[in-house]
Amino acid sequence: MLGQLFVAGVVHGLVIGLAALAVTLVFGIARFPNAAAGDTMTLGAYAGFAAHGATGSLAVAGGASVLAAAAASLAGYLLVFRPLARRPVAALLVAAIGVAFLIRAGLGLAFGHQQRVYQVPLAWPIEVMGLRISPMDLTLAGVALAALAVAFLVLYATPIGRQMRAVADDPDLARVSGIRPFRVMVALWLLAGAAAGIAGMMLGIKTVVSPEMGWESLLPAFAAAILGGIGSPVGAVAAGLVLGIAQEVSTPVVGFTYKIALAFAVLLAVLLVRPRGLFGRVEAVR
Amino acid sequence: MITQRRTLLATGAALLATPRVVRAQAETFRIGALNPVTGAGSPYGSGMQRAILAAVEAINAAGGANGRRIEVFSEDTQTSPQAAVLAAKKLIEVNRVRAILGTWSSGVSLAVIPLTNDADILLMHTSGAPALSTPPANAKNLGYRFQATNDRFGRAFAEIAVREGFRRPATMAFNNASGIGNTEGFRRAWAAKGNRNGEHVVYEPNQPSYRAELLRVMNTRPDVIVMGSFLPDTTIILREWFQMGVPMKWIIPGWAANPQLVQALGPAVTEGIISVDSVSNEGSPAFAAYDAAYRRATNRPGLDNVYAAMTWDMAHTLALAIEQAKSFETAAINAAIRQVANPPGEAVPGFAEGKAAIAAGRKVNYEGASSVLDFDEFGDVTPDFGVFFIERGQINRRYVVKI
Repeated sequence: MLGQLFVAGVVHGLVIGLAALAVTLVFGIARFPNAAAGDTMTLGAYAGFAAHGATGSLAVAGGASVLAAAAASLAGYLLVFRPLARRPVAALLVAAIGVAFLIRAGLGLAFGHQQRVYQVPLAWPIEVMGLRISPMDLTLAGVALAALAVAFLVLYATPIGRQMRAVADDPDLARVSGIRPFRVMVALWLLAGAAAGIAGMMLGIKTVVSPEMGWESLLPAFAAAILGGIGSPVGAVAAGLVLGIAQEVSTPVVGFTYKIALAFAVLLAVLLVRPRGLFGRVEAVR
Repeated sequence: MITQRRTLLATGAALLATPRVVRAQAETFRIGALNPVTGAGSPYGSGMQRAILAAVEAINAAGGANGRRIEVFSEDTQTSPQAAVLAAKKLIEVNRVRAILGTWSSGVSLAVIPLTNDADILLMHTSGAPALSTPPANAKNLGYRFQATNDRFGRAFAEIAVREGFRRPATMAFNNASGIGNTEGFRRAWAAKGNRNGEHVVYEPNQPSYRAELLRVMNTRPDVIVMGSFLPDTTIILREWFQMGVPMKWIIPGWAANPQLVQALGPAVTEGIISVDSVSNEGSPAFAAYDAAYRRATNRPGLDNVYAAMTWDMAHTLALAIEQAKSFETAAINAAIRQVANPPGEAVPGFAEGKAAIAAGRKVNYEGASSVLDFDEFGDVTPDFGVFFIERGQINRRYVVKI
């Protein structure tokens, strides 16, 4: 029983973790809470749904999710966030909420508000070390791990990734070192959009696709980004897993109504002991 | 100068007042048709609105209610409480409607009823939440429910569970008034029959997975799971259940176990699900009249839309109450509703017949298209329930239960 809950928590946690990755990347480099990340997920879910309906291939659906969400994310940067770049954080946050509304309303107009469902084949579970795991959960976990691997390769093994981390560490130092901020920002928004898109597709496959789905999963994503240490990609994913697993495994004790609250109790407890989050660094006082 | 300005003002005021005077000569009784044209209720909403328009057409053709034509202002709730509140405000403050007809889904009706109470007008709705029967929602007794309460649905589920020979039912409820109302109604009725209730799980909306909830219920090895649920969560739960590979029977309310669910999950997952919905008062003369009007308005049989039969009855009940009250005041109309809808009295199938009987000084009892339409002290009715089995992707009605 506990093992089953653990497995459910891992898949849940991977979805939260990917969404938190999108949030934390923007937070670390563009330095504002991107409230449009949830609706970028929704866009990814719809793009994947349309592609999956047309081709029946999960790989094509994944590609469509990534492309559409990354494109929308980049458009948001070029049209809204770049012109507002030097404004206070609150202005950017409100602008992000506006972008979120725009995406949600557009999807509602285009696809309607009734639920859409990925027509994926349903199969009986397979036994792995005494645990009954559904093949779709294994596939989704594989997709998430592959997406995370690509994201971390980009961040830690490519020149643009190194530049992104440099800007995250110290924007001014990065600039005087000859790093062009525009290229870094484009790469950032593309990467954040792609992560949100994959998270949206996974959530869409596991649940149902509707215009509100991403907005409703934004809170756990923010919680994971904070728990992991704002700006830390590894922390975001780890914290997503912690929250997902804590929610599911705690249900025999706290019940189903309070499992959501429990995730936030974990968040509070960790931040009380370790205010910078699991993997966050102490910000230098200037 | 001052005189001139005063004259000007007076002329202006007279000019402004003129249209009012002209309008007053053909004053109408204004009602709002506030229905779920889009959103989760969209399969029903436009049909509900057309049934109101068709009923009002018939009422006006019979000379109107108490000599006044009824005028309908249509709005869409979008099946969302926020949008419904905005639309209700517009109907009340701009259109000055005297009754609102046909809200669907408990969240919407619970959001709208404070507005109709404040405006001192009637709300006739099709929502199931037990909270709509009592104060604070129905503090002024101006709310009338044309659908069965969730509690009555729960009682019907218990009748069906007995008839199908289930012994160990478990329950799962979406955490809101409607979902919990269904399962509480079931558990009370099941216990009243001398049975023991099984595991009961209340789950939260918008969860990426209901695996933990399902495991808790399945581990008690029930022979049926009775749901108080809605379409999206039912879709997710049934898909996860099917992938667990454990056979199970399900009793699910009709608004969740509907053709969209079958379309989402396919025939293999939905095979054998028992879907329960209230059924219209089929075979009654009122239903025949509604069916004919509905076919004319939508080209579909009246059986397609159990909620349209309810809104048809709303317009008829309201018009008969106005006729009986010989008044357009809310208090007088409200006092007349049970007089025209409940026994004793001459059973009438429509407005024209009722109007004639009232004119002849007889007491009438409107027998509706949606049910016999007898309101209890809370303004609730007791329809019959259809028991549908999903077989190879088709939703087939097997029998009807009465509670």
